[in-house]
Amino acid sequence: MTGTATPAHGAAKPTHVRRRVPVRTPHQAAKTGGGRLGGPLAALPWALPAFAFVGVLLVYPFFRSVYGSFFEDNGFTSSFTGFDNYTRLADDPIFGRSLLNTLMWVAGTLLLPVLAGLLIAVATHRMRCGRIAQLVIVLPFAISGAATAVLWNFMLTSEGAVNQVLRGVGLDGLAQPWLLEWPQNTLSMIVASTWQATGLNVVLFAIGLRAIPRETVEAAELDGASGWRMFRYITLPQLRAVSVVVVGMAIVNSLKAFDMIWILTKGGPSRSSETLALSMYRETFRLFHVGYGSAIALVLSVIVVASSWTYLRRQMPDTSTTAVQS
Amino acid sequence: MSGSRHPSMDRRTLLVAAAAGALATACGTAAGQPPGKVAVLGDSLPWEKPMAAAGAAMKRVASLQLVPEVNPSLESFEQIVRSSLRTNKTPDMLKYWSGYRLQDLARTGGIEDLTHQWDDAVAKGWVDPSLRGAFTYHRRVYGLPMNLAYWVMFYNPQVFRAHDIKPPGTWDGFLTACARLKKAGITPLHGTAADRWPSFIWFQEVLSRQDPRFYQDLMNGRERYTDPRAERALRTIASFFDKDWFTPMDLSHTDAAAALVRGTVGMVACGTWLGSTLAGAGGKPGENVGAFVLPMADPKARPSVIFESSALVATVKGADHDEAVEATGAWLHPAVMRAFSGALQDGCPNPKVKAANPVIAGLAKKVRGDKLWLLNRFWEQGPPELVEATVDDLAGFLLNPSSYRSTLRTMQGRADEAWKVWREAEQS
Repeated sequence: MTGTATPAHGAAKPTHVRRRVPVRTPHQAAKTGGGRLGGPLAALPWALPAFAFVGVLLVYPFFRSVYGSFFEDNGFTSSFTGFDNYTRLADDPIFGRSLLNTLMWVAGTLLLPVLAGLLIAVATHRMRCGRIAQLVIVLPFAISGAATAVLWNFMLTSEGAVNQVLRGVGLDGLAQPWLLEWPQNTLSMIVASTWQATGLNVVLFAIGLRAIPRETVEAAELDGASGWRMFRYITLPQLRAVSVVVVGMAIVNSLKAFDMIWILTKGGPSRSSETLALSMYRETFRLFHVGYGSAIALVLSVIVVASSWTYLRRQMPDTSTTAVQS
Repeated sequence: MSGSRHPSMDRRTLLVAAAAGALATACGTAAGQPPGKVAVLGDSLPWEKPMAAAGAAMKRVASLQLVPEVNPSLESFEQIVRSSLRTNKTPDMLKYWSGYRLQDLARTGGIEDLTHQWDDAVAKGWVDPSLRGAFTYHRRVYGLPMNLAYWVMFYNPQVFRAHDIKPPGTWDGFLTACARLKKAGITPLHGTAADRWPSFIWFQEVLSRQDPRFYQDLMNGRERYTDPRAERALRTIASFFDKDWFTPMDLSHTDAAAALVRGTVGMVACGTWLGSTLAGAGGKPGENVGAFVLPMADPKARPSVIFESSALVATVKGADHDEAVEATGAWLHPAVMRAFSGALQDGCPNPKVKAANPVIAGLAKKVRGDKLWLLNRFWEQGPPELVEATVDDLAGFLLNPSSYRSTLRTMQGRADEAWKVWREAEQS
């Protein structure tokens, strides 16, 4: 801090510079000397409010949920049942379906919005009116999840727009109740979610594309790379940092998918389209199986943290190297 | 210098104001309403104005004003009720469900015994005494009826006239009407699993018409879902599917109401509260909107009709407890009821108050004239978590009608477990 004001010849004697600080008496300096300015503990008072917030809003509820999952709790009375809630999870076919739906959401959200976002960003990168095309695709992202769900409800019901269009063009055989039967209700909602989520991915990939150094592209062009080879060997590796973010966000978002499903199907019919987030909500707040809901929440948390951590751990070291190199 | 100080002072003022506001809000919850006012927490926005109208009427007859507070999220509403009932931050009064849901709440000891108010209202002729069971727990009354919706079949009189169909007076007449509508290219019946809860409607309607006693016993855990009579009800519904009488199962009530007014759907089974939705879709009572009670399939069975009634509840620990209890004494007063049910456009539990909507007034006349047995709705019958789960089972049946036997077995399995828990809780 003081070094910045130090004349060049004084750089070799930093202790001398410190003595010249006029507002601090030696006594005061000694007083703060235990934890020198900039020492590891000096920031603690400043960080405490943040710790308090995270502690109260995140850490405590988490451990409270873990604790609660060992109880049979109906909101009024509770009794300790150990791991009973977890063994019940293993036997519950609805939990199994819910887990499967969640995995479908992860797979679908990784495949569709990420791929679509990448392709659209690359295709529109140097295109004339490309930014307008990107803007059109980004627009749905500005709509809330709930509004998107209401919109797609108009499209996906048996008498909705999708079936009307199919019937209108003579494809009556393809018209079906999209939201009533598993697995197409989950698949339909993944498509609806893709419609909304792709826009953000396009933005992120477009930023990544602009960050690719011009020289790299030109060098590749001089070496004769173009088209697919350019994409495969230059563009894609250069987008690594952005891809890590996009894929990481897609994993977490898909694991906690809720609003669209809740509005479109409420997890039904017959609980067929529930994801873990919905099952947790339904068990806890509709059926008042608070302990059982906590157990589902914990399973979901473990999956979210484990998958995010594993993914980022695999990706981050390489990414940092790439970032330094670029 | 002063220029740099002002913003920080403003910030400080803002923080102080925010803290004071938060404190005031917190205290506001605890302190309740000012004297002479009592808040009623509900879960339905369309009930806000009727409640305000009832509150204004009550001010005239009992010098107490009811103030509506609405939390339109069902889940959030229930959470607030459940989590606050044992604390002094609980609302003073609630709009709650009748039947087992009310019993569930009464069991906590967090709501007031209103038996005295009930008896007083019965003595004055302000309430239909046959509704008592729906608001009773351990022979004490814990809620007062707010509305009285009958579950009926809505139809479009213009469409019926155009196809020479009369509102059926017998079960066979009902089947004939369905067949005739189908022949005319109109989907005869609205069936739906959309929004989850409506999945029980047809099971409730058919079962209560085939055997109302069995319906009552099954709903109260005295009979079994695997009984042939329950199977017969589901087979009857399956036969409607076979004849292609139902709309797609994802047609919501709002869309069905519009389709009925338009004349593309023949009949919609619903509580009379659908009247406001029908009116919103352009329906005019008596012109293009009519309603009839589904006739009994078994002419020897006791004629019955399903009803639905919300409960006005006073909490034990509410901040304005005394005023809340006093307000319950005036709730069924004809002036209050007239203001409330008139604004709500629904049926009224006070027989002295005629429904504002002529269709509902006609139904009330028939129900009271024919002395129909009032059976509480499926949703309020049975332990709440059993109902929540069986509704999902019935949705599964509606989507795969041939699965009726396995559906009933699953439902019975749930019922065995849920009733065991319920009865254990009764004893504890």
